[in-house]
Amino acid sequence: MFLRRRLAFFAGVVAAGALFSAAACGGGDDEAAPAEGVKASGTLDFVVWSYSIETIQDNIKRFEKANPAIQIKLADHSWFDYHDIMATKFTSGNAPDVAYSSDHWLREWVAAGWLEPIDERCPQLAQYKGEWAPYAAEGMTLDDKLYGVPYYADLVIFIYNDQMVKQAGFSGPPQTLAELQQQAVAMKQKGIAQYPINIPMKKDDPWAIEFVYSMVYGDGGSMFNKENEPVFNEPGSQAEKVLQFLADARNKSKISDPAMLEMAEPDVVKAMGAGRHAFTILAKYNLAELNLGQHKQRGNFKMALMPGSTHSTVGFVRFYSLGKGAVDQGDAAVKASCKFMNYFGGKTGGQYKVMKRWALEKGLGFANLPLYDDPQVQQAINKWGDVALERKQAQLARVKEGLTPWWGAWDIYAREQIHAAILGRSTPKQALQKMADRWEQLRKQHGG
Amino acid sequence: MAVATATRPAKRFRRSSLYTWGTILPVLALVSLFTLFPFVYAAVNSTRQRILTIPYHQPFVGLENYREVISSDTFGVAVRNTLVFALLTVPTVTALGLGVALLLNQRVRGFGVLVALVLLPWSIPLVSAGIMWRLLLHGNFGSLNGLLMQLGIIDSYVPWLSDPDKAMGAVAMAHVWREFPLPTILFLAGLQTITPEILEAAWLDRATAWQRFRYVTLPLLKAPLLIVLVYETMIAVSVFDLVYVLTGGGPGTSTTLFSWYAYTATFKFLNLGQGAALSFLMTAALLIVIVIYMRLIRLREESA
Repeated sequence: MFLRRRLAFFAGVVAAGALFSAAACGGGDDEAAPAEGVKASGTLDFVVWSYSIETIQDNIKRFEKANPAIQIKLADHSWFDYHDIMATKFTSGNAPDVAYSSDHWLREWVAAGWLEPIDERCPQLAQYKGEWAPYAAEGMTLDDKLYGVPYYADLVIFIYNDQMVKQAGFSGPPQTLAELQQQAVAMKQKGIAQYPINIPMKKDDPWAIEFVYSMVYGDGGSMFNKENEPVFNEPGSQAEKVLQFLADARNKSKISDPAMLEMAEPDVVKAMGAGRHAFTILAKYNLAELNLGQHKQRGNFKMALMPGSTHSTVGFVRFYSLGKGAVDQGDAAVKASCKFMNYFGGKTGGQYKVMKRWALEKGLGFANLPLYDDPQVQQAINKWGDVALERKQAQLARVKEGLTPWWGAWDIYAREQIHAAILGRSTPKQALQKMADRWEQLRKQHGG
Repeated sequence: MAVATATRPAKRFRRSSLYTWGTILPVLALVSLFTLFPFVYAAVNSTRQRILTIPYHQPFVGLENYREVISSDTFGVAVRNTLVFALLTVPTVTALGLGVALLLNQRVRGFGVLVALVLLPWSIPLVSAGIMWRLLLHGNFGSLNGLLMQLGIIDSYVPWLSDPDKAMGAVAMAHVWREFPLPTILFLAGLQTITPEILEAAWLDRATAWQRFRYVTLPLLKAPLLIVLVYETMIAVSVFDLVYVLTGGGPGTSTTLFSWYAYTATFKFLNLGQGAALSFLMTAALLIVIVIYMRLIRLREESA
């Protein structure tokens, strides 16, 4: 009897606990514009990854001064953990109002119901579309709906140390992967650099796959076709050649740093700046840091078109997105978020003030093409880069292929296989086939 | 009258029962909320297809999640890596802890300071320890490489964390450094309960130092030894923070342990069903290990 009572009691506790699991999913309203008479006000949660926080905080102060009814609570997280932390926030009901997002996460986050389209809710933002670079507009649009305004848009570029190239006896940067190998071998033999090549390939760095994509694009290759089917695993594909190049560079000719598999973007920038390497592939804003920052080799770095037959590369966009949090709070929060996004990603007083500031102070690229005609921006870029070459590379830039709701999950697996290929633990062909098999598995899971 | 007398103890029992349940109910509810509820919720998740990018289709799939993770290529890798990691670290931590405890038991001058120094690694948060070891072991600017270069032991920097053959050893080394203080303290406490007369008697019987240790000290340390073995095995199987900070499970999958696999399934692949299934499999494995340990120790006691 006593035992029965005990069991009944515990069953009741379990049932009570189970009730908590019935999460009432609020929000998810239709994409109606906020009501007319509602004022933009409230406190907004703004989540970013950790880059130049003091600049963001200063921009926020200026926004708050101009909009005293709106307060901003800023939270930042490491870029390496950003995706996982945002997944936790959104799933636990702690969705931010405005957050950084990226083209490669857009489909995943929209499929999960975490982001809201802004066409109807923030019509004033959609007007900027016509001034954006095509790869940027494409990166923020899904099923003809716009999901954000640019924080920055940039290119993955090939960077080389001009002084080291000349020291090795070459007149200019390599134009193909074969020339890259040739120049790197020469540098190693002459003792200019033990490992002339270093490309950040740290496993938990979301950049890694973008660098591989850019090398494939550079040689005229593709990763997926228009139907989002893998083509990287086809015999003799550019992807196979790129992985073979990276594997040989590490294991045979030993011209690439074996530590690159544990190095992320900041590590490689430091190592390049110290003169340990001559060639790398990085996001373009790093060229500004290398030439203007406190580095032994500052001023010696130049950009070159991505080595390969077509010199194409990856163009990407990181953007301000409207999170579920704002919609759940109501129209006042939505209007406040739209005002905030307009200040940061749009025009104030007829100028892209925040975007221009990022370009002038940090060398961040921008989606808004009119900024290229701004003499101040041109002058700033030419201090560390080459505006003409940058525009040429931008014309050859392509959006990452295969962006689907399961691309993020596939990316994690792909990085493991890329490592295996570079380490020589599997052949490039085997690695790419495994990546294709995982793609198909995820596609079936998602009913694709 | 007899009936009235009989009901009084029953009433008292009911009142006392109500009082008992009433006082412990709030605590029980809290404990249930934070232990029982997550357990049940995870169990339910493990039998459903719960993929965050498919939020409107979460059917019951029975044991399909378990089947999928067990048949995945990463599962075999994770199990093998976890076994290797446990085999590397558990005996090392145990032996090192016992060795240091034996030294500390000599009661030298500055004993208190030595104990504090020994405890230092354990007082450092795991993430901080991981960051510290990552800087030490970095293949490009790590101070370990710098030291070895200066001593002439190596002629070029070693990529400790990006060489698959070395990365596991590097993570194990960081783990052993962080974990050995606890066994040291447990063994030291055990050693201090051994009366000196027993060891003196063994010495008088002309037992060597090794014989005294093997036949007198070690049997008397059975209780702390069991605790250390069980605890350190649990920690080795479930270690996460160091892997997260040092290698992210890489290079490739060379340091992908079971706990890391469960984490990536949940937070990177956004597959809560498979993540929950992996967590239950890990729990089951740990329970089996604990039962085996306890049986082994009990068998030894019985044969002695």
